[in-house]
Amino acid sequence: MTKALLGGVLVVMLATLVPVFAHHSPAAFDRTKEVTLVGTVKEFRWQNPHTWIEVNVPDGKGKTVLWGVELTSPTYLVRAGWKSNTIKPGDKVTVIVNPVRTGEPAGIFRKLILADGRELTERPARLGTPDSK
Amino acid sequence: MSLSRIAVAIVTSASLAVPACTAPAEAPGNTPAANTPAAESEVPSEPGRQLSALAPENITKARPAAPFDLTGNWFIDVTENPNAWRFGPPYPKLTAAAQVHFDASQVAAKEGKVYRDDIGQCWPAGLPLIMTRYWPMAMIQIPTAIYMVSGFMNSLRIVYLDGRSHTDPDIIVRTFNGESIGRWEGDTLVVDTLGFRSDHHWMDQGGASIPAGEQLHIVERIRLINDRKQLEIEYTMTDPEYWEGEWKSTKRFNRVNDEDIQEVSCLPDLNEHLQSTSSKTQVR
Repeated sequence: MTKALLGGVLVVMLATLVPVFAHHSPAAFDRTKEVTLVGTVKEFRWQNPHTWIEVNVPDGKGKTVLWGVELTSPTYLVRAGWKSNTIKPGDKVTVIVNPVRTGEPAGIFRKLILADGRELTERPARLGTPDSK
Repeated sequence: MSLSRIAVAIVTSASLAVPACTAPAEAPGNTPAANTPAAESEVPSEPGRQLSALAPENITKARPAAPFDLTGNWFIDVTENPNAWRFGPPYPKLTAAAQVHFDASQVAAKEGKVYRDDIGQCWPAGLPLIMTRYWPMAMIQIPTAIYMVSGFMNSLRIVYLDGRSHTDPDIIVRTFNGESIGRWEGDTLVVDTLGFRSDHHWMDQGGASIPAGEQLHIVERIRLINDRKQLEIEYTMTDPEYWEGEWKSTKRFNRVNDEDIQEVSCLPDLNEHLQSTSSKTQVR
């Protein structure tokens, strides 16, 4: 594992692969890499088929970069403990993502850490297992 | 049967009890039968035209009981393999017309890019991929049809069970899910689907882009297994424009009894906020 820190962005190289389920191909994301964003929520949109978070993240050079974070649908998020008001604009958050491969400020969600230290992921959220009711 | 007799038959059968498919009760004094001349003029059917799958006269027609009822929410079984939503590998021997796309998608994948991800651009997934998205498929079965609505973009698929034939090729409206006609063979429902739209329609995505053409023909052999808790579909797919012989794949689905599908739309503001769908990783 390697790490690099740039302003509010921490980059970690991972050795493991994590499945990503989206309405589009997941190939745009580099799932061997995690980026930790420390910033302020600009928007949290609770909608189908994907929820998204926009986070303003200081780049360490006096500027702020707007990151787009893509999450799965509310159906799954509710099962993982989320609500539509879990975060709101202005909240200080830490968001861990797998970034897009191009270096653009965007990624697919891995973990949210709230100001009070509470952590949320998208799982457990599997539908349709043989044990499903 | 004359128009007037069809009209009377439909109006009469509308008063019959039809489990799980009856319309809400009309307010007293406001029933169709209370206004027969108007009701008759509202029947649009022409002699020889196929009765709607939702016409009471069709639903109540005498026919053998269906061997099983698929009504429920079904989700692709990915407990053993998270890639079970894909219909390959193995893939059939591709034609040159398909190989060029497959190869280009392999090159894109090696470069960390996405080749023609039309689903990500809000185009319908289409059959067969619509059946195995990571969202449940709601199915409602009545004697004349199975209505399927995907939790993914609310894509509609109708499987007709009322004995009709495929639509005249000269008038069929090609669609991404095609036209599906089902018939019962013992404990198996055999569904024949054709009439596909070919543009922006793919059999796979993410490094294995194989087009779906207008000659695509899909036969599904559908059974309920494991004490009716699982749905199994054996796919046999042909499309001489893009591959040789039969492409076979078997999928299993589990019931989702504690979740309903929701309204889902792929709207312009979705992709505006999902940079991955518009980033430089996209190869068009």
